[in-house]
Amino acid sequence: MKTSPRAAVPAGPATARRRPFGTLREGIHDLTSRVRLIRFLVGAEMKRTHADTAIGTLWWILDPVLQMLVYWVLVAVIFQRTTPDILLFLMSAILPWKWFASTLSEASTSITSRQSLIRQLQFPKLVLPTAGACAAVVSFAFGLVALAGLYILYPERLSLWVLALPAIAAVQFVFSLALGIFLAAMNTFFRDVQNVLRHVVRLWFYMSPVLYSLDQLEEQPVAQNVLSLNPMAPILDGYRRILYGTEESVGGVAPDWLPLLGVLGLSTILLALAIVAFKRAEPAFARILS
Amino acid sequence: MSEGDGRELALDVRDLGVRYNLNFTKRTTLKGSLGSMLRRSREATTHFWALRHLSFSVEHGESLGVIGPNGAGKSTLLLALAGILQPSEGLVDVRGKVSTLLTLGAGFEPELTGRDNIDLLGAFLGLSRREMADLVPSIVDFADLGAFIDAPVRTYSLGMKARLGFSIATAVQPDILLLDEVLGTGDQVFRAKSQQRIRELMTTARAIILVTHDLTYVTEFCNRGMLLEQGQLVFQGDPAETVDVYRRRVAERKLLVASDAQRFAVEPAR
Repeated sequence: MKTSPRAAVPAGPATARRRPFGTLREGIHDLTSRVRLIRFLVGAEMKRTHADTAIGTLWWILDPVLQMLVYWVLVAVIFQRTTPDILLFLMSAILPWKWFASTLSEASTSITSRQSLIRQLQFPKLVLPTAGACAAVVSFAFGLVALAGLYILYPERLSLWVLALPAIAAVQFVFSLALGIFLAAMNTFFRDVQNVLRHVVRLWFYMSPVLYSLDQLEEQPVAQNVLSLNPMAPILDGYRRILYGTEESVGGVAPDWLPLLGVLGLSTILLALAIVAFKRAEPAFARILS
Repeated sequence: MSEGDGRELALDVRDLGVRYNLNFTKRTTLKGSLGSMLRRSREATTHFWALRHLSFSVEHGESLGVIGPNGAGKSTLLLALAGILQPSEGLVDVRGKVSTLLTLGAGFEPELTGRDNIDLLGAFLGLSRREMADLVPSIVDFADLGAFIDAPVRTYSLGMKARLGFSIATAVQPDILLLDEVLGTGDQVFRAKSQQRIRELMTTARAIILVTHDLTYVTEFCNRGMLLEQGQLVFQGDPAETVDVYRRRVAERKLLVASDAQRFAVEPAR
């Protein structure tokens, strides 16, 4: 069932080859006109996750805590790192990384997991990866409760820089949304994407300053330089500075704004490109998902 | 726009073609499609035309019954008319609001209650909060699921899901009604009720396109018939005559099964 009047649809190639800026504007309109739908989809996602477990939503808080403990065993017990206040050090980067990874996996399968709906209704498909990314924000927000709990152990680490968190989170959101939209379209054509993605994200995790910080790589300047090209590096470093501080300074410090602005600029361009690519691929979705 | 005899068109289809790319159909993997891309040079075609060179129009007040064997392109036609599938070539001109009654209920979120699912599908359809506020009571009322309307849809039986799907799909009065084999939904009581609802929609809709395998529906509900075979228009005209042509061709084809098998052996697997 479709409710808006529709004008004549010319043959495929003519609609597909519109000018990029028109396509981009159309994509943005797809999202702004369906805010209500995105909200409903996020709500549905919330109800679906952990709906079948005994303690339900508590898992959103418990999950990052357990993950932190696992990495604590690896880093502090096995590798004998002597980073001070290591639990907070780990948590300040694990939490955003979990968010990043779940955004990519949610968004990349958002089209393929709703194929029956796509064959039944005409709606802007761009809302699906976007809703996936927004649902991941909510679980990240729950994880922040666990982080807040850690400040009971390390009260001296808490500073007013915590308030800069939304700014860094915004940069990360734009970056991961851009990737998510692109992956969602790709995965519709090739289901291999979701399989490859798991391993790429894993490798990316180890190449990102989560279990270590780039400062700790001082003796390996080459690795330090290469790894700092990773767009997630300034983001994770930013979180760690405001939430944990540095090994020398006890308590949160100002993030490096310049690289963050760089990532924001890059991500905005990527997001625009991803929306255009997605809109170009969109007419094919219903045909492929038969 | 009006045609020669001054009657208004509800729907105009010109030289419509819908092509599926066999490289990318369901659950292909990179390996599979790379393989078939490499084989392209040897194999004649990687594309499949579900519909080709289809032209017809439907005037106001008409109800068109589309029949044909499996794989004739009937459902693809409805998807194209609903705007879900974009034509690969040709033109689809739909004048007014379209409703599609396709496979209902498959889009439900199992963890959400029936009521939440109504809201969700309403949002998918682009209905505003105010429009939904008007519609929800009538949908709930028509589906008649009792206390189950506030229970998660995963607890529903198939029939209950179908009832809810039907109630949502028919809640908005469309200008052009697209029907795909939905006339028999749910139990006896609900079936009578849904047929009543369809008749109501038929009287208010400007035009109806009905796709069905039940040939009696075509003669009973439609004032024009159309026969599709292998994505092409074979016959259109009086409903009874169309059904006759179809029956004759089915009888003929039974004799041709052997040669058909040969034809499919040459073409790439679907």
